[in-house]
Amino acid sequence: MIRVLFFGALADIAGREQLDLTWQPSLDSPAAIRLALAASAPALERALQQPQVLVARNLDQAGWDTPVADGDEIAFMPPVTGG
Amino acid sequence: MLSGKQFQRYSRQLMLEDVGESGQEKLSQASILIVGLGGLGSPAAMYLAAAGVGRLLLADPDRLDLTNLQRQVLYQTADIGGGKAALAATALAALNPEIRLEAIDSAMDRETLDQHLPGVDLVLDCTDNGQSRQDINRACFAHRLPLLSAAALGWEGQLAGFDFRAGAGPCYSCLIAEGSPEPVASCATTGVIGPVLGIMGSMQAVEAVRLLVSGSCSVFGQLRRYDGKRGSWFRVGLVRQPSCPVCGNPRVET
Repeated sequence: MIRVLFFGALADIAGREQLDLTWQPSLDSPAAIRLALAASAPALERALQQPQVLVARNLDQAGWDTPVADGDEIAFMPPVTGG
Repeated sequence: MLSGKQFQRYSRQLMLEDVGESGQEKLSQASILIVGLGGLGSPAAMYLAAAGVGRLLLADPDRLDLTNLQRQVLYQTADIGGGKAALAATALAALNPEIRLEAIDSAMDRETLDQHLPGVDLVLDCTDNGQSRQDINRACFAHRLPLLSAAALGWEGQLAGFDFRAGAGPCYSCLIAEGSPEPVASCATTGVIGPVLGIMGSMQAVEAVRLLVSGSCSVFGQLRRYDGKRGSWFRVGLVRQPSCPVCGNPRVET
């Protein structure tokens, strides 16, 4: 299983803060997880495509191509830039 | 040596075992550059001035606008149209006349940063745009100065701490690469809840006090996210990117 966490404005769009995906080898990166969401949640997938969305894997900063394995927790955080 | 008045003014933090008189003296000898005196810079500057940080450099090129007052708590309605750096210095001098306040009304590009960073102990990034954040990151890395970088939007805020004193990353550009396209959303287009900025700016002040009195702080190497709608916090470890153009491995000349 892959646990996917959505933060703030992304949780608003997703309508949830957490989503558990059954593990399959095709979900091997945050980018692949984003792509897998396109069919069921196109608005969420678009929001994840915007610049400067931050990704974490198991509480550490990660990239869109960071390897993902069964049991990992992937968090997506929308950009915040104001001051 | 602290005067009797100073003992009184700072008594409620002097009481803390890990501040005490020596911690207060460290604060009074410290110099902090605050870049941006908006929603983050207002509370950060107010708390650091109140705490007796000896010298605050207050940098903001903007003039105060009516739309700023919903979140930029350092200013009054009658201040509209005035330069923020000078207004901030005046307000903070009234709060604590014992500290040095220097208003800088020019934009903080690389050149201006290089000019003002010598003699500074810590930099707070309280700006509202990506280019300034990257410039501040590069300058702090080059000058080996610790950097506390905060941002907020909507109901959300974040804080990241970078300890460049040993000349090593991770740095802001490891988190958000230089040259990344700017997000569409900004405070002007999306809006922001004032106290979310208050929380993040106050967090910068907490970490700054902690760093100055103890030599380290808990946010170095971390990203902290706050969601004001759900009241939740999330902590992410920052990861140094070896290919980072700012703090990555220098290219070996052959």
